[in-house]
Amino acid sequence: MKLKETILDPIFKSNPITVLVLGICSSLAVTVTMKGALVMALSVMAVCGISSLILSTLRNTIPGRVRIIVQLVVVAMMVILVDQILKSFEATYPIDKQLSVYISLIITNCIVMGRIEAFALGNKPIPSMLDGLANGAGYGLVLLIVAFFRELLGSGTLFGIQVMPAGYVTNNLVILPPFALILLGCIVWVQRSIQKDLQEK
Amino acid sequence: MNTNNNLYTVIYTTIIVVVVAAVLSFVSQSLKGRQDANIKAETLRQMMAAAQIKPAEELYATANADILQLYADNIAEAYTIGLDGQKNGSLEVSVDNIQLVDKLKPQNRGILNGGDVTLPVYIFKSNVAVIPIYGAGLWGPVWGYVAFNSDCYTIAGAFFDHESETPGLGAKIKDEAWFREKFIGKTVEWGETPAFKLEKNAEESGASNAVDAISGATMTSNGLNAALNTWFKAYEKHFGLGAFFNMLAGTSLTDVNKEEE
Repeated sequence: MKLKETILDPIFKSNPITVLVLGICSSLAVTVTMKGALVMALSVMAVCGISSLILSTLRNTIPGRVRIIVQLVVVAMMVILVDQILKSFEATYPIDKQLSVYISLIITNCIVMGRIEAFALGNKPIPSMLDGLANGAGYGLVLLIVAFFRELLGSGTLFGIQVMPAGYVTNNLVILPPFALILLGCIVWVQRSIQKDLQEK
Repeated sequence: MNTNNNLYTVIYTTIIVVVVAAVLSFVSQSLKGRQDANIKAETLRQMMAAAQIKPAEELYATANADILQLYADNIAEAYTIGLDGQKNGSLEVSVDNIQLVDKLKPQNRGILNGGDVTLPVYIFKSNVAVIPIYGAGLWGPVWGYVAFNSDCYTIAGAFFDHESETPGLGAKIKDEAWFREKFIGKTVEWGETPAFKLEKNAEESGASNAVDAISGATMTSNGLNAALNTWFKAYEKHFGLGAFFNMLAGTSLTDVNKEEE
């Protein structure tokens, strides 16, 4: 596979959320605000990219029978590192607090383990890292789209800045997770109408 | 190389786990100071929001260093009490070494089981005393800070926070300023059970120690109600007997104010 496809495919053509339908749970939970979604997206990119790099470097030495456990240990380490770093900075501390358990739950995000199993264990380190980063970015893109509508309609703000006129009554349904699922459905619908080969006969 | 050999597998996993553990403990140790500073600043923000030093939004937009300074400028005295209502320790308030009791979970356990506790009382120069509360919400802990006027029973302000209450429902205890503002001017009836009511239609009764619960967030409201009453009970001997008032009339705080002049 060419490097360009490795990077571009996960963003749109084989987006982990809308096409592979992975990482749905967290995309419902952390998309109430743009800030939260952005931090979550960057965290998943970092975890995905660096875990893929580490595991791809080790791929020929990992015993086959315990490879899932080795993957888990490395991914868990990355997730804890990201969480610790977010907690340490004044700017990211409130966002880490808002995301609460969802940062730690990146470990259960199927995209991370999925890409390691499917790509990193069979490819060289640099393409693996790029694949991880690109999948994180594809995930993040969908998160940001969903968060854009949810924050705009649910809180009348974007990145915490008031954009809706003062008289706007915030929509509480938009704040709740079910609405994120409806929005995700709409995104899948839009993508499938553009990308005809995804349509089932 | 045969990577499926038993010995190889055991050695390999051991090394991986040891390396990962070493990295994590190193990072955790080296970042602990910064994390504690963030937690401390957050606690100070919430206490000062309850004490009405500044609005919560403004405090949340203020940098950590300025928060420490603001606290040091506004605090008169901080000390801890036991369940008998007697002072059992004092907390440093100088800006370089602000001491807080910010781990509320063990204190909460102490209150419930009648163990040893060090319950903090923070007295601000504006003559309000701030105490923490802590309890269980729906999904996780809820906590907050309640400020009392110098009469020891009128609430001067309150601020509540939670770990993971439902956004738009239980999370309103923190997100909606109108909720915490409802507590201002209410009273706590020391010695009565319950000393304070956060219930459905509570305000209809006209009682001065009642605030309406949040509709759609019954479990969070009940949890907060229980937290308030549990902690108020623990402070009852201290405030209910007018200890704070005596203290204001007596020595420590006036001395601090004199020094200022």
